[in-house]
Amino acid sequence: MAIAGSPIVQLRHFARSALAGLRASPLPAAIATLTIAVTLVLAGAFALLVRNMQGVIDRLGSEARITAYLAPGASDEALRSLVGQARALPGVAAVELVSPERARERFRKEGERQAALLDALGENPLPASIEVSVLPDHRSATAIASVAESLQGLAGVDEVSRAQDWVEGYARTVALLRAIGIGLAGVLGAATLFLVASTIRLALYTRRGEIDILALVGAGRAFIALPFLLEGVIEGLIGGVLAVATLFALWSAFLPSIAGGLELLLGGAPARFLLPAELGALVIAGVVLGGLGAALSLAGGWRR
Amino acid sequence: MSKSYVAGTWALHDVSCTIAKGEFVFLTGASGAGKTTLLRLLFAAERPSEGRIRVLGMPIERLAARRVASLRRRIGVVFQDFKLLPGRSVEENVRIALDVAGVPSGESRARAFAALKQVGLQHRRHHEPLSLSGGEQQRVAIARALVNEPELLLADEPTGNLDPALTLEIFDLIAATAARGTTVVVATHDPAVLERYRRRTLRLEAGQVVEDRPGLGARG
Repeated sequence: MAIAGSPIVQLRHFARSALAGLRASPLPAAIATLTIAVTLVLAGAFALLVRNMQGVIDRLGSEARITAYLAPGASDEALRSLVGQARALPGVAAVELVSPERARERFRKEGERQAALLDALGENPLPASIEVSVLPDHRSATAIASVAESLQGLAGVDEVSRAQDWVEGYARTVALLRAIGIGLAGVLGAATLFLVASTIRLALYTRRGEIDILALVGAGRAFIALPFLLEGVIEGLIGGVLAVATLFALWSAFLPSIAGGLELLLGGAPARFLLPAELGALVIAGVVLGGLGAALSLAGGWRR
Repeated sequence: MSKSYVAGTWALHDVSCTIAKGEFVFLTGASGAGKTTLLRLLFAAERPSEGRIRVLGMPIERLAARRVASLRRRIGVVFQDFKLLPGRSVEENVRIALDVAGVPSGESRARAFAALKQVGLQHRRHHEPLSLSGGEQQRVAIARALVNEPELLLADEPTGNLDPALTLEIFDLIAATAARGTTVVVATHDPAVLERYRRRTLRLEAGQVVEDRPGLGARG
């Protein structure tokens, strides 16, 4: 698809022709642009939700702590020995012994109701425990399970609890949401491609006189096709920017009213908006949708 | 060379002729005789069903799409229905041929002005084609066809929609182009035009050349 002549002249022609095309059929162009924007807003909303929920997993995962509750009545020497054995386990970064008294203090500090509950019981029901941090390269689910299993096997350990169980359930929810998001984006993306392709096909039809004349005076395929491709790209670019602006506006408008719910969902962590790179990716996705839709339409060819 | 659109029916059949560089030739004959088909073959809008056609040294029967475009940049074509873009000014219509050839903006404007001056319409360059008369629109189409200084000018019934006075005006422009050395092939069934210019005339009937009458007038 060689193009004759100076590239600047050609680019000026393509830009002028594409803008003239958009002005000539504003309604189909607006519908295509808005469809791209709606698709990207939905995809962006899912990305926002999944990104924040993924942050919870990353945070809890990075903590990777395992608590081993000890059988009551162990001597100080037995406890020291247990701590030593736990430290020697592969993948263990640090071990901290938590006495029943310290466990009670911690529980008391969690709130008035907890303190009242302890006071009502009279004696301290909490056992001693050891809290084990895992080395960064042992933080996979399998490696953590292996450390937990080794801890369970140590004499004097009554029960092993790990945040990982909860994290894995949460991660499954996030994975499900991500899959739904990708599926939804795929379906909406395909529908958007079809719509953009239809608007470009309509433009090809309404401007067939111009196409005939261009072909008549010696325009090659690329010279004729590129303005239409550029129309799709412009629709995608505007749609992408609109989507980013809409997401930001919705985020700013509704965050105060849903902040409480979000905090609960995110384990107390503050919700964050998408990063500039992710917003850029949304705009690029719009450009790709617009360009690809136009290319699909052009691939069908036109009358020469 | 032959051309068939429907099996068993020939739009053109066993046509054989040579048009020399710089020649001014009329194609004539009744409607449906094959004049338009022959012209369309000459600018590669059609391919022959049988035989060979060589235009400006290029074999039409096996010309790749990319080379069709480059061939057309060396040919100017004028139609009965003008084929002008209604939403663009007269100057923009002429400059389309220069945009395609990648001519820089300043040069393009100057050349479009010169081409419009040649057809006497430089003062109308900012008007839209639909605000012009039929004769003026055809002169714009001729300016567009000539702006790239083509080696070959093809015209298909260029005055079919015009009255006799405008017809002569248009043909004088075409004859002037031929006089400058451009090869010109014009399809017309207007006997007054044939009589006035007396150039070589190929008469077609039912897709065949039945007469090849040499010109009597001055060459070019």
